[in-house]
Amino acid sequence: MNRNNIWIHISIAVVLITLAAVLGQIRLWENSLRASRTVSDNLRKTGAPPPPPPLRSFDSAEPEVLVRFKPGVSVSDIKRIAVGKNDLLKDEFESVGGLVEIDDLDNADPETTANQYAAMSDLVEYAQPNYQINLEPDEFNTGSPRDGVYRTISDAPNDPLFNEQWSASNRGQDGGKENADIGALHAWAKTKGSDKIVVAVLDTGVDYTQKDLVANMWSRPDAVPEYSDDELGTIDDIHGFDADADAGDPMDDNGHGTHCAGIIGAEGNNGIGISGINWNVSIMPLKFLGKGGFGSTGNAIKAINYAIDRKQHGVNVRVINASWGSTQYSRALEDAIRAAGEQGILFVAAAGNNGSNNDRSAHYPSNFDLPNVISVAALDRTDTLASFSNYGVKTVHIAAPGRDIVSTWLGDAFREASGTSMAAPQVSGVAALVLASEPKLTMTKLRERLLSTVDKVDSLQGKIASGGRVCAANALGMKD
Amino acid sequence: MGFTKEDVTAAAKQDLADRLGVDEGSVEELSVTGREFPDMSLGAPADGEMSAQMIATGWEIKLGAEGKTYEYRGDKYQLRLVDFDGRNYVIK
Repeated sequence: MNRNNIWIHISIAVVLITLAAVLGQIRLWENSLRASRTVSDNLRKTGAPPPPPPLRSFDSAEPEVLVRFKPGVSVSDIKRIAVGKNDLLKDEFESVGGLVEIDDLDNADPETTANQYAAMSDLVEYAQPNYQINLEPDEFNTGSPRDGVYRTISDAPNDPLFNEQWSASNRGQDGGKENADIGALHAWAKTKGSDKIVVAVLDTGVDYTQKDLVANMWSRPDAVPEYSDDELGTIDDIHGFDADADAGDPMDDNGHGTHCAGIIGAEGNNGIGISGINWNVSIMPLKFLGKGGFGSTGNAIKAINYAIDRKQHGVNVRVINASWGSTQYSRALEDAIRAAGEQGILFVAAAGNNGSNNDRSAHYPSNFDLPNVISVAALDRTDTLASFSNYGVKTVHIAAPGRDIVSTWLGDAFREASGTSMAAPQVSGVAALVLASEPKLTMTKLRERLLSTVDKVDSLQGKIASGGRVCAANALGMKD
Repeated sequence: MGFTKEDVTAAAKQDLADRLGVDEGSVEELSVTGREFPDMSLGAPADGEMSAQMIATGWEIKLGAEGKTYEYRGDKYQLRLVDFDGRNYVIK
């Protein structure tokens, strides 16, 4: 055999192997489709369930996928498709039609499982892995409360740490820039908030017993039924919802969510700690981030689904605060946030802390191009974009104080923290304050109001869309 | 109390040894440095993970083994392996 013949034979072999691989994959897809169709067809024709899958112990750490089925595929069909693949329908996100969480009992790689569902393209719109993040440490140190130095300010609340709250009233203290704040003092002349406005804090939970928060925590009214979900059962959601534990106790075991909650609505003028932007408000704790401050996208969606359900049952959820994120895109999360918007819920998201341009390198959920999303960058006390803050003239909408922010913490403590995590609740808080004054304002108008009434900041021009810092006084139609 | 610097450093060395299948004594501690991270995933999110966007303090642990350098990040809550074959992992 001469050299030319060798290359011809090798080329033919490569082509044949490639063809065989493609045909094999197509057959797998066909089998998968046939199996799912057979399940549905059998049910329609005979009502008989398919043979039971091999018995496997259920473990919450099983690999999971998020699958959105196309319209017309019923829940019972989905259950049977899952059973036919030795999977389990774990939860249905009722707010997003067709979106479900599926446990893979075979312990396959989540990406492989997601690809198998995605291949059922006549039934499935999309499928993605839902990675479980389960590891958590044993102990937690709350850190040291910061000592406040009280200095008298006329018309200020009597909360002893108010002087440290440069975000509410910046008079140049501690090297700050005068009036580089959200104009809270002026705004409070018009309204100090209302407990009729419910702000969901989607986070590590909230310490609902914290002495400066307890008066402003949401509790499920008697007229609202307990949370009921086909897969999760009935949950006594008296204080909110824990999507990680599928339980009704969203107690914070980290501190981050409690900090965000205090910025929005620590009780004002009660002689304790700080003053929230809203002296009165209803904070609904939703827990999906664990003790370490991280959690799964699937549980975030589950918690959003809960908030939507409560809204549909008459709870006046107007804002969801999301002081978290990642660079990883999830279409399922985007759909859930869109569904919240369709219920008139504003979704305020931290822009992220990588010091990078979100126009070039996206951060989610803040980058979702949805009509109910506001992306928030962080400022320091000199009105300078914080060095850690993400920005983006197309994708980051507004800025707010986010460095050295004092707020509530676990164990009745107070402490400073920095991040776009602390900036987002400033905007959520101002949103709630505006709604207290104008409760019928639509979500769309509210968003427009917040973005169109910023205090312009030179250093933000060309950096973020509005070019300014959120201003409560302006948003309420007052001169700050 | 949560994890200490010594806890996470020891756990990192053990994890790397197990992962590479080498004796723990052959894993060299190159540096352990206190630093700030951009979020509560210590700037190293695992697949599908969301994290609180609050500046977090912890330690950057550089280890050497088989001629390569590996990076772990830890704080009082957790230990993570960074960019190992292109992915981040939550170890503890």
